[in-house]
Amino acid sequence: MSQEPPAPRPRPGEVPTSTREADQAWRAFAYLLSGPLLYGGAGWLLDHWLGTSFLLPLGIVGGMALSVYLIWFRYGSR
Amino acid sequence: MNMTGDIAILGYGLSAIGPGVGVGLIFAAYINGVARQPEARGMLQPIAFLGFALAEALAIFGLALAFVFKG
Amino acid sequence: MSIVALAAEGSTYETPGVADFWQPLIGSGAFAITRASIVIMLSVAILSWLLLAGTKKLTVVPSKGQFATESAYGLVRNGLGRDIIGSHDFLKFVPLLFTMFVLILLNNLFSVIPVVQFPTMSRIGFPAALALVVFAVYHAVGFRKHGFVGYFKSIIPAGLSIGLMIPIFLLELITDLFTRPVTLALRLFGNMFAGHLLLVLFIGGGEYLLLHGAGGLKIAGVGALGMGFVMTVFEILVQVLQAYIFTLLAALYIAGAVADEH
Repeated sequence: MSQEPPAPRPRPGEVPTSTREADQAWRAFAYLLSGPLLYGGAGWLLDHWLGTSFLLPLGIVGGMALSVYLIWFRYGSR
Repeated sequence: MNMTGDIAILGYGLSAIGPGVGVGLIFAAYINGVARQPEARGMLQPIAFLGFALAEALAIFGLALAFVFKG
Repeated sequence: MSIVALAAEGSTYETPGVADFWQPLIGSGAFAITRASIVIMLSVAILSWLLLAGTKKLTVVPSKGQFATESAYGLVRNGLGRDIIGSHDFLKFVPLLFTMFVLILLNNLFSVIPVVQFPTMSRIGFPAALALVVFAVYHAVGFRKHGFVGYFKSIIPAGLSIGLMIPIFLLELITDLFTRPVTLALRLFGNMFAGHLLLVLFIGGGEYLLLHGAGGLKIAGVGALGMGFVMTVFEILVQVLQAYIFTLLAALYIAGAVADEH
């Protein structure tokens, strides 16, 4: 058995690296779902109130674009 | 013989094939890359995430539009 | 079950649907005692008895029951608690994670255990309640760590351009408040619901084809019952996996709230 120094005492707020990666993966998937849902829903509400019909697909596509941008910003560009 | 139903369901089923294959290919490439060179994991991971997001976007479009076209 | 009633008549076959999951046993309406509530009370009784019996006389060299209990507990405490939340403050959350893991596991497995054969997690109320508990816990942890306003400030990534800050803040808020708990519940619910429907379809349909089908369809009935067996084995895998994934995601959400940087 090798004589290794004991592992440093864990400090509050540190999570293992594998947790950070797994958390990023699940968060990315949650962003992909929420973007179209939130902005598509907002577009649908505005359609309902204003009587138009193009704001719903605009909201879905815009929300998806925002989600992909957020995923790129957080996890892709560093 | 009559078949009744909503063709949006058929459309959604068909549209789920593409992103499924796409995401599988992306992560197959990621696993291959990390298996050949484990040190490259940090460099490949952002690219894998970005590719996954773009491919999955189409799957989620399909899901959202299935509900929109049905209702 | 409707299949049993129709087998007595022998006239037509009804494919299983959502209505097959509503099985009131005592009373009717909103406060009926349904099969699902009896199954979950049974699962709580069985789990209490098993865990108490497994830890009654603790010895240094474990007996078989104690070893099995320790293995299950060790899986959740080490694999899901310490390795995910980090060794500093995972102990506070291990009771929650372990309780959820064994509860969901036993209730999922009840779908294939012979007399019971009803997955309680296929009624949306049960996964919704569990996801609500996880929701309350991880937001409470986040509020306690960052303070009320600081928690909302911490969910915006740094270095964002000013114009995009509000849409992205709304997006992050909706993922934390709505998407994460709802997908947590829906994932468990959808898997159990679809699995139970498949099993009822194959086994009930196979039995109907075998007993009431015209000549050649009887062979299809045997095939359907064979598929029922295959799907049962597959469902056991899915059930264990879904229990593990629910607890894993609960631990991940708590770890994300506990962590310093995002």
